[in-house]
Amino acid sequence: MDPVTFLTQFLMPALWQGLIVTLELVLLTAPFGLVLGIGIALGRQYGGPALSTACAGYVVFFKGCPLLLLLFMLYFGLPTVGITLPAFTASVLGFILCNAAYNSEYVRGAIKSIKDGQMTAAQALGMTKVQAIETIILPQALRRAIPGLSNEFIYLIKYSSLAYMITVVELSGAAKLVATKYFMFNEAFLAVGVVYLVLVTLTTYGVHLLEKRVAVPGLTGKSRA
Amino acid sequence: MKRSFAVPLTIMLVTVLLLAGCTGTGSSPQQASAPASGQQKMYIVGIDAEYPPYSYLDPNGTPTGFDVDSMRWIAQKKGLNVTFQPTAWDGMIPSMDAGKIDMVYSGMTITPERQEKVNFSIPYLKINQTVAVPDSGKKTLDDFYAGKMVVGAQRGTTGAIWVENNLVNKGLMPADNLKLYDSFPLVAEDLAIGRLDAAIYDKPSMVTAIAGKPAHLITEIDTNEQYGVAIPKNNPELLRTINEGLADLMKDPYWQTLRTKYSLG
Repeated sequence: MDPVTFLTQFLMPALWQGLIVTLELVLLTAPFGLVLGIGIALGRQYGGPALSTACAGYVVFFKGCPLLLLLFMLYFGLPTVGITLPAFTASVLGFILCNAAYNSEYVRGAIKSIKDGQMTAAQALGMTKVQAIETIILPQALRRAIPGLSNEFIYLIKYSSLAYMITVVELSGAAKLVATKYFMFNEAFLAVGVVYLVLVTLTTYGVHLLEKRVAVPGLTGKSRA
Repeated sequence: MKRSFAVPLTIMLVTVLLLAGCTGTGSSPQQASAPASGQQKMYIVGIDAEYPPYSYLDPNGTPTGFDVDSMRWIAQKKGLNVTFQPTAWDGMIPSMDAGKIDMVYSGMTITPERQEKVNFSIPYLKINQTVAVPDSGKKTLDDFYAGKMVVGAQRGTTGAIWVENNLVNKGLMPADNLKLYDSFPLVAEDLAIGRLDAAIYDKPSMVTAIAGKPAHLITEIDTNEQYGVAIPKNNPELLRTINEGLADLMKDPYWQTLRTKYSLG
């Protein structure tokens, strides 16, 4: 089979299907991963001893657990205790748990970068701790966390391919299946590499725009405005 | 301050890289037998390490099985040096293309599609596909042939290809209902869990895989497949050697010994 026929007749339709699944995985994971990550960072930073330890434990566990192993536990392990998740759900759950652990570290780092004096000042002005976090600390911290969080989002795009190991045919899985069927490995992997590169480049550009949009002049180091 | 860190750091990095390089080259091909002839070529045989009774790892991690023992016998008779390299099934032919392995001797069915990419030895075994269902399953064999089951298979196997050609491509079964896994034990696991209505695989391997699991065979599909050793097209000499070795082996009493040992009749 000549590469052009292979590309247009077989590879492109398969990659398109796979791309949709990859986008579903990523777009379902990212918001939950972000919210959970922020929650864990806050719990670790401002929670009492119990909550703070629990959040730290969460991060240690999910950062230390290889993602593939986590997916296998969710997919093949949970049924032994009576919870049988569909492959797609197990994948999204695994990604959220992993994504949140890393996100929380980026957010925590950003929170720590904000001077303690701000919290003291806010409380001196009569704000509660929650109010101070909500209106003073987090708005600054989240802006500072954007580069780190975007890194994690890009990782997510790429590690979402692990869903393939528990039968979800996403982008790289679709490419591999077509490649195996027609023995056109180099062509298929090259093409799928280009698709990932486009996805990651678009994300990087999107994050750049976001950073510019939310930038507060004079706040986050050098202001471009 | 920064400079003083850079130098030791660089030295450390380089050392680590060098060490990694050394151990990498030192240990990669396990020298199975080192004959006096010195620079004899080591043939790397690709096997699916989770494919009993043809090729699998014993509890010590040593490759074993019907195909592995056959290869060892042929290697001894023909004076070849061989080492076994566990490889993902769907990566076998590309690995051979890339020169990572020299042949695949691991229950590989001879198909016209594969023959376009590689040469096959003379056939050495005939096998059929089998279908297994969970003991608790409510669906029947008719449901299987009507494409009304969720079927699991290992990627790139002739079982998966059979379902594609006979159920999916004929519009009987939605493509999504064919679930593909990296290795067959994972298929058997999901069959036992109950996510799959059926699993399809080569016969003797299926029997081993579902042994002790709440599943049973419902049918054998007469695909009349033949196993052969896959060898790169650019190595006709190796093909000849393996063919001679196989012919000798099949005439030798050891052939029956092996068949009995691995319950192949």
